[in-house]
Amino acid sequence: MFSNNQIDINTLPSLEELELIPIHKNFLYILIINIGTIFVGAVGGLTFARWVSEDDGFSHFAFYLQGVLVVVGLIVMLIYYLGFKNRKYAIREQDMTYTHGYLVTKIITLPYNRIQHLEIRRSFLARKFGLSTLKIYSAGESGGDLAIRGLPMDIAERQYAHLTQIINDRV
Amino acid sequence: MTAFNFNNPSRQSVKGIVVIFGVSVYKVSKGILIASAALLLKYLQSGKGPDFTQPKFVLSIAAIVVFFLFIAILRFLNFKFYIREEYFFLKKGIINKEEISVSFSRIQNVYIKQNLLQQLIDVVSLSIETAGDDKTEIEITALSRPKALALKKLLLVGAKEQGLTESSEDSNVEEEVYFKASIKKLLLEGISENHLKSFILIFAFLVGIYQDLKEFVDNVEFAERFREWFQLESESMMALLLFNLTLLGILLVVSFFFSMIRMFVQNFNLTVLRKANGLEISKGLFNKINLGLTSSRIQTTTVSTNKLKKALGLYKLSFTQAMANKKQQLKFSIVGLNHSQIYELLEQFYPKGLNRLVRHKPNIYIVYKRLWINSIILLVVNIGLYFLPAEFLLLNLIFLLYIALNTYYMYKKTYYHVDENYIVLGGGGLIETISKYLEVHKTQAVEIKQTIFQKRRRLASLTVHSASKSITIPHIDKTEAVEISNFILYLVESQNKNWM
Repeated sequence: MFSNNQIDINTLPSLEELELIPIHKNFLYILIINIGTIFVGAVGGLTFARWVSEDDGFSHFAFYLQGVLVVVGLIVMLIYYLGFKNRKYAIREQDMTYTHGYLVTKIITLPYNRIQHLEIRRSFLARKFGLSTLKIYSAGESGGDLAIRGLPMDIAERQYAHLTQIINDRV
Repeated sequence: MTAFNFNNPSRQSVKGIVVIFGVSVYKVSKGILIASAALLLKYLQSGKGPDFTQPKFVLSIAAIVVFFLFIAILRFLNFKFYIREEYFFLKKGIINKEEISVSFSRIQNVYIKQNLLQQLIDVVSLSIETAGDDKTEIEITALSRPKALALKKLLLVGAKEQGLTESSEDSNVEEEVYFKASIKKLLLEGISENHLKSFILIFAFLVGIYQDLKEFVDNVEFAERFREWFQLESESMMALLLFNLTLLGILLVVSFFFSMIRMFVQNFNLTVLRKANGLEISKGLFNKINLGLTSSRIQTTTVSTNKLKKALGLYKLSFTQAMANKKQQLKFSIVGLNHSQIYELLEQFYPKGLNRLVRHKPNIYIVYKRLWINSIILLVVNIGLYFLPAEFLLLNLIFLLYIALNTYYMYKKTYYHVDENYIVLGGGGLIETISKYLEVHKTQAVEIKQTIFQKRRRLASLTVHSASKSITIPHIDKTEAVEISNFILYLVESQNKNWM
């Protein structure tokens, strides 16, 4: 059976009509804790350095640096907080979409027939909150992989099984 | 059948010992280069050179050489390969034994390479690229050329008999030499290179070794001599300026020759064979490479030229190919092609109506964005100029002219085209012109990006990821980006075509 009908682009399934599902809201805590740890660590390290050092000039400089770090840390947290509502995903019959980002919003879609392999990852914090990261790899060299962070453990596992099924059926 | 029997385990050519030895010496000396240079500098500074004739020096160096030679011989003796029942076997390792077997069906490509050492002793290296895993590395470093060719043929024919590579090529068909770059062409290519790039490269390198360089300059009292030479009185502004200008001039000449020589060394004796299923390229002066390019595995193709090259009728065609093995990832490029050759080759790889391109323009925002970024750069540059004499501010005129022309031509040359077969992207600037081609079914994933600046104008950029490079259509209407994504996804998901 061969057909060669003209394609009406407007009737194609659209990414815009996707009903995107937000990730688990506990993931925000993980993000904040992660960012916080980095900045608190840096500020703490500088405090220690100031305590050890006897150079007044350095002490002053480090103090201002700490101030800057605190402000930058708060701004980063704010950006992540604002961007959190953009972290959504959607699953269709043929592909999977993930959106994220605040300053730069990204919508990335990966067709199932391009999946190379799958992976579930759990960091220490994620385990405590019962969350997982589902990573889907394509053969894309310059990106083109998809990582849905902050999925509830059971959903991640179900999706993993579902996608594995699709990959196995493919061959 | 071939004159060589690969069914019995065989070693490399005995000359392989030399290659293995050479490679390990090269690696070690590269590793300790900085350390030894530092030691040497220490000695030079302390005034008393090391006494190389001392027996303990000679003995220790001899011991090291003997050790490496010993290792090389052992490696050689423990390296065996053979073919049995559609499998290629390789055994290697002195203490940690390794045995690799590759089914013919998994062989993607076979490369023949030759570095300087291998050229001197007349052997070639053969490496096998496999699909599916990026850990195994199969390289036989020393084979005689006929033997390597026979093995390559056997491996590739074997792979084809399995019916798993898509090549429809009949191995009996005569291969046609499509293109051979003459010395004159290479010289022209070298001259018309973008020397600014080499300039920046060399400049960065000099900045990197600035400290050491400074010591050197101080030692030879370069500045003093220069002043005497030009009979300049003191540290006047003029002297400094002349000094810097001379340095700049020297640097420019050096970068000119640098890009020239690089072009020559990389593309010496560039030959392109045309086959039914792709191309075979061989080139290189010191490192001779011979690589096959299969149409079905090409990901992106780029045609590039610059103003000067265009006037001379010189175009460059570069390919990226999907590789299972990242280490073996190579960029293929053919320089010195003329316009009709480019057209013919593109026609071979993209046969379905590339001549019917519909050139869509990105939003004018691309110009604003470029101007904004350039203004910021100009501002930073001007902060620097502020500390120099007022005449230097005149440089701004040149900068402004360049920015204006570059931005104008960038917009003029930028276009995109999407149809059910290909994604084409044009671009460039004042000097360069580039166009990129990607087959739609090579898409791995699509990504719509929108910055907060784009959001206000309802614009977005669309990136199409392939198995090697990605292509980005910049600054188009968001709705259009979504439509193109829908279209590409529809094509990829409905056709189920192989991307490799």
